[in-house]
Amino acid sequence: MRHQNATAYRFLAPYLLIFAIFWVWPIIDSFMISFQATRTVPWRFAPGFNWGRLIGDPAFFNALKNTLLILVIQVPVMISLAIVMAVLLNSPLLKARGLFRFAFFAPVVVGEVAYSAVFRLMFNLNFGIINKLLNSVGLPSVDWFSNVTPAMAVIMIAVTWRWAGYNAIILLAGLQSIPEDVYEAATLDRVSKLKQFFYITLPLLKPIILFCAVLSIIGTMQLFTEPFLITERGGPGGGTETLGLLLYRQGFRSLNFGYASAIAYTMAGLAIAISLVQIWLTREPK
Amino acid sequence: MAAVTLKNVVKRFGVFEVVHGADIDINDGEFVVFVGPSGCGKSTLLRMIAGLEDISGGEIAIGGKLVNDVEPADRGIAMVFQSYALYPHMTVEQNLSFGLRMTGNAKADTDRRVKRAAEILRITELMKRRPRQLSGGQRQRVAIGRAIVREPQVFLFDEPLSNLDAELRVQMRVEISRLHKELGVTMIYVTHDQTEAMTLADRIVVLNGGDIEQIGAPLDLYDDPANRFVAGFVGSPKMNFLAAKVVGADGGAAIVELANHGGARLRKPLADVPPAAGTDVVLGVRPEHFFDAGQGDCDIAVKADVAEHLGSVSYVYANAGANAGANIGANTGQEELIIEREASRHRANGDHLVVSIKAGRSLLFDTTGARIR
Amino acid sequence: MSSHPPARRSHSRARLGRSIALHLFLTPLALIWLFPLWMMAVFSTMPDNGIFSPGIEMLPHGNFLANFNNLQRDTNFVGAIGISVSVAVTYTFLSVLLTSMAGWALARYQFFGKGMVVAIILGTITLPYAVVLIPQFIMVARDFKLANTWVALIVPPLFNSLGVLFMRQSFSMMPGDLFDAARVEGVKEWRIFLFVALPLARPMLAALAIILFLASWNNYLWPLLINSRPGSMTAPVALGTLIGLTKVSWGGIMAGAVLLTAPMLVVFVLLQRHFVAGIAAGAIK
Repeated sequence: MRHQNATAYRFLAPYLLIFAIFWVWPIIDSFMISFQATRTVPWRFAPGFNWGRLIGDPAFFNALKNTLLILVIQVPVMISLAIVMAVLLNSPLLKARGLFRFAFFAPVVVGEVAYSAVFRLMFNLNFGIINKLLNSVGLPSVDWFSNVTPAMAVIMIAVTWRWAGYNAIILLAGLQSIPEDVYEAATLDRVSKLKQFFYITLPLLKPIILFCAVLSIIGTMQLFTEPFLITERGGPGGGTETLGLLLYRQGFRSLNFGYASAIAYTMAGLAIAISLVQIWLTREPK
Repeated sequence: MAAVTLKNVVKRFGVFEVVHGADIDINDGEFVVFVGPSGCGKSTLLRMIAGLEDISGGEIAIGGKLVNDVEPADRGIAMVFQSYALYPHMTVEQNLSFGLRMTGNAKADTDRRVKRAAEILRITELMKRRPRQLSGGQRQRVAIGRAIVREPQVFLFDEPLSNLDAELRVQMRVEISRLHKELGVTMIYVTHDQTEAMTLADRIVVLNGGDIEQIGAPLDLYDDPANRFVAGFVGSPKMNFLAAKVVGADGGAAIVELANHGGARLRKPLADVPPAAGTDVVLGVRPEHFFDAGQGDCDIAVKADVAEHLGSVSYVYANAGANAGANIGANTGQEELIIEREASRHRANGDHLVVSIKAGRSLLFDTTGARIR
Repeated sequence: MSSHPPARRSHSRARLGRSIALHLFLTPLALIWLFPLWMMAVFSTMPDNGIFSPGIEMLPHGNFLANFNNLQRDTNFVGAIGISVSVAVTYTFLSVLLTSMAGWALARYQFFGKGMVVAIILGTITLPYAVVLIPQFIMVARDFKLANTWVALIVPPLFNSLGVLFMRQSFSMMPGDLFDAARVEGVKEWRIFLFVALPLARPMLAALAIILFLASWNNYLWPLLINSRPGSMTAPVALGTLIGLTKVSWGGIMAGAVLLTAPMLVVFVLLQRHFVAGIAAGAIK
């Protein structure tokens, strides 16, 4: 192909301009801001100011603990569920496939605010449909939002509902790229369906499962809207406060940009670490 | 005037040189075929002439004008691609007129050219169809039509027939030949298929590994190849190469002993001084140049391994050791020979036969592949 | 039937058993998954005193319009929807244009710095959005003084590079001869892009446009931060401000949630193929 610097950059320029201003520069800027004391005017360079505070801040460790707790429980449950959905939706025996696909994929289009509102209402103590259904089968009501454990459960249930179908879509595409004759050969070799799943489907799907896991981890790590709206700003008493919420509070309620940037870079560090693990796990066997 | 001249043309991709200084003179109205195995640089050369690849070194001139820095569209060329490159979202008519429409050609003239091209290629009734509704041969016609519409001085074809089935390929080959006579313009045609090259070309350029091995008329390449590569590439089935050794000289002729045929010897007259005794050489014999026992200058016995009977001729594949008779070298099974026999339908597995080689119907090469004339 | 070998019959019986088990498992799961959406629709048609009453109500009532009027009283939701639609349409158009142009350049030209551009895009794609939130906010609100404007809602999110990678992939899968053919005919590069490449990429463009529209339509955090003044809020932000207020019509909030969700569900049903393609493409990098 001919070298066409001018032509190529004419096509690239508009996007690159936006990309540089609103993505590349902020990434650098954010790093620099995290080393500045931003509560004074003008800001002054103070390397230990925010990072030092971070290390000793119980609010930060509370948010970090909550975020990791949600990650560790919610992501595996959701990915397993998504795999089950994808495999079953892919079954040739399934009737009314369109209806099932709609049921599982529809949450993908539902906005965070809309579904947060519904979940908040559904889990209401006295009038929520969930408690009413529990009562109707003889179980006691749960005070979902006044105790930490049930409040965390609601957050995890909500996120799982919203994103399981999304992951199932990606996994389903991966499943459909596995050639049919692999299964036919296995069937001729009298390998049971269950064994086919564990010894053919899962290994072939591994890179995509990892991709989904990384996507979900990075998404869940930034969890903001759900604790902001469903559990009312991370309630009860900071019990569902996440890193995303802490960043919002520090950056945009207290206008403490330096500290918020340090929190943001903590999240970035986690994301990079997780990406590296993914790269390591999907490396080509030597 | 649209002669095409390549002077010391070089192509590099990074540090990797794929064309090492090609010199080719193509006359106005000539049909030249670039042929060679895949990766020999023939398509790269064509794309450089088209202006789709930068020229790393040397000069290309079309119609006497240096075109190194001229845009493809301004070189007076049109190109037919291997994949046809028809725009799938446009009708045949739109495909034919697209380039002219996009470059602001007058509508009346565009319509005239499209109509003419459609008539030449007999695709007038297909004008409203889309490429996916056409057969392979029809697509090929449209692709050629799109080139005709440009009324170029030079047509470039990049393996245009390789996606067609055998029967259609022959048909389109004749069609392209007819087109060349009708339009009388220069055509440069790239293929890996030596049959296409032999049947279409006025002159053939044989390429190998980025070097030009030989340029010449088809039958000249067949009769008088410059080296072992060309000898092996031109002609089907391939020429046989027999390991041999010069054992002596006899007044301007070399006495050559075949290494794998029990000491059979051939007296091969040469124009040059024969190589010294003891020199390893290679004797090239085309499958069609084995004669009946006693008809040639040197008989060898072979054992047929497999025979392919095509009706008019048969090809005998001989690579097993054969029984030697008196005065006859026998194949030791080290070398497979392909032997063409006319109307011989009874040859099959395990048959023994004796064939004869003529000095005048064989070629001598040194171990580097160069001809010894 | 007796002519069938017995192995064959037990095989089809096993299939039937598996099929029944499959549907017995999947149907309740599907119902659970549909339940929140169903309840959203039901709540949006119930009067507030119905929502907050002890009985179990799981069928729609007829109170949607009254709820909507309550919503409109609590916040100017119609105006917010107008902003959301305009922003999403403009954003989608601009983003598709920018990312397909960039994807085209990366897929189809050799140029100085290409490797570096690709490396920066790929290397930063897994960084969380939170990293750029603070500087973006400072830049747009303080330096450019663009808070509470449409520009603030539309332009910064255009950095999204998923579209670039997606379109790069799409364009590089097309046969290059197609574009060379046009080049030989003297067609200018931007016309090749416009009249050959883009029409061929129509299904991919549709998938990309749907995903981008959805992302803009549902975007919450950035509009919440940058356009917080009443009258400049997008619909999700306007609705979000009501959640948690003490004297607010929950029927109204649910009506708003339905208005935000229903159009997307319709689009999803109509264009499911493109939707699924767009999301699945995220995995092909």
